[in-house]
Amino acid sequence: MLSIETHGLTKRFGLFTAVDHLSFSVGEGEVFGLLGPNGAGKTTTVRMLACLLAPTEGSATIDGMNIEKDSLRVRQMVGILTENPSLYERLTAQENMEFFAEAYGLADQRKRAARIKELLDFFGLWDRRSDRVARFSKGMKQKLAIARAIVHSPPIVYLDEPTAGLDPESAKSIRDLIHDLSRQGNHSILLCTHRLEDAEKLCHRVMIVSKGKSVVTGTVEELTARIQARPIIQVTLAGLNQKIVDAVKESDLAREVVADDSAGTMTITVDDYESSAPEIVRRIVAADGRIHSVDRVRPSLEEAYLKLVKGNPIEN
Amino acid sequence: MALLVFRKDWREIRRNWQVILPIIVMPIAISVLLPSFIILIPGGGQQSSPEGVAALLESLPAELRAELAGLNQQAVIIYIFLVYLLAPFFLIIPLLASTVIAADSFAGEKERRTIEALLAIPISDSELFLGKVLVSFVPSMIVTWSSFAIYTAVVDVLSFSIFNGRAILPNLVWTLFIFGLAPLVALTSIGLTVTISARVKGFREAQQISAILLVPILGLFFGQLSGAVFLGPVIIGLLAGGFALVAAIVFQIGVRLFQRDEILARLA
Repeated sequence: MLSIETHGLTKRFGLFTAVDHLSFSVGEGEVFGLLGPNGAGKTTTVRMLACLLAPTEGSATIDGMNIEKDSLRVRQMVGILTENPSLYERLTAQENMEFFAEAYGLADQRKRAARIKELLDFFGLWDRRSDRVARFSKGMKQKLAIARAIVHSPPIVYLDEPTAGLDPESAKSIRDLIHDLSRQGNHSILLCTHRLEDAEKLCHRVMIVSKGKSVVTGTVEELTARIQARPIIQVTLAGLNQKIVDAVKESDLAREVVADDSAGTMTITVDDYESSAPEIVRRIVAADGRIHSVDRVRPSLEEAYLKLVKGNPIEN
Repeated sequence: MALLVFRKDWREIRRNWQVILPIIVMPIAISVLLPSFIILIPGGGQQSSPEGVAALLESLPAELRAELAGLNQQAVIIYIFLVYLLAPFFLIIPLLASTVIAADSFAGEKERRTIEALLAIPISDSELFLGKVLVSFVPSMIVTWSSFAIYTAVVDVLSFSIFNGRAILPNLVWTLFIFGLAPLVALTSIGLTVTISARVKGFREAQQISAILLVPILGLFFGQLSGAVFLGPVIIGLLAGGFALVAAIVFQIGVRLFQRDEILARLA
């Protein structure tokens, strides 16, 4: 069963269209990334899926339930980390957790206390449970906000910019937590981010959105492949010379050859990596080339993202 | 669920000096300092000339003049100020307390950016609204009724010998003011603050605009002072009806504006 399914989800604020006919689905246990620059419509999409904003057009179901008709039940089964931690700074960490746990239906006091302890322990905040949140660092607040989002063990979790504004160490610890969450808890996670590193490391699939519209959806590998017309082989050699370059250029398989003498590398564009790589290597060896490494060059998600978001045509 | 929101908000408010300070200082000033000053400090009110007192009595309604018959000059002055004139002024307490708390509870959540997580919880708009209204109404009534009890005690104790052992408070007018009119003033102010909070981003703006309700209260005070209005049971009943009507209207608007979509659309 699909955890999240949207069809033509649209949100307009007056004349401004924040989300424009977005359709996607997230499977059970999947980490799905909504990737896009600030103002792309990611947060508005999450707000609609969390039943905080009503869509202007289109529809969405969460675990089969319609976000407009079953909004209370949908809210019950999702956990949300909002763009801001949204924590009550005058309350302690424990008081914040108590309030949200009770609000999400954890009525039994013993079970509630046990769940809160489990989460605060997991996030390393148990010793600071009696401190007011105002005294917490940004990273601690973010951890507490994630703990709050999953206090009722929701099957579906929305995480809006979970590592925004964090130092690299805190960002890594949050990424590790999300990773653990998806693997151990089998939660379906919708991750909104403009940090490519997060998407690359955490998401099974991503959708790139720009100006409210979907640009492309797929796995990270699929997206990076989409912006590359032909495979590129990079060969690093000890002592690159013209004889080796000519030997490769004479091959029918090489569409384009670029040599970098100072780096000792040759990048060769081919039609098909699997069938071309052995022949290219054979020719280099025959030309007395001493190979250090042969790699398939893939563009990073960052390159794919920039190319796709900036509206450059996608090469097929 | 509404009680859960009430408990959470009350816990927060108790730790917020921007809210607690005005709802403690102002009632103390009105219920303790003002009567003490008028009764105890020479010149605080009872040192007027006989001509001045006569002129003041002339401007008062006949019903009140009848109540004052037989009292000495000091007792007349104290009675006019502390029993007659200050009754409408006392309505400032429920107005101030409810405005400050409601502004913090409604607009403050937006300003502190805690509103989104709150709106995400599985609770209906009406339960959420009720919780917020309760946390504004209950403490403001506790403050008002406590202030009234303190004021009554201070006035009766300090004026004990002046009125020959007679307790001048509470009387019917004050009882109607405190238990009939004050809750309606608080509800009107909460309704107005909720409506304004939906339109503004910060609690200070909400608080400042809601202060508009001071106008009718000060109007009553100065109306009494000039002799234009005599606040007897009938007028108080009419005022209660007027406040109830305004409260119903502003609440209706407030409830309509207090919807998740409306609140977040303005933050988006």
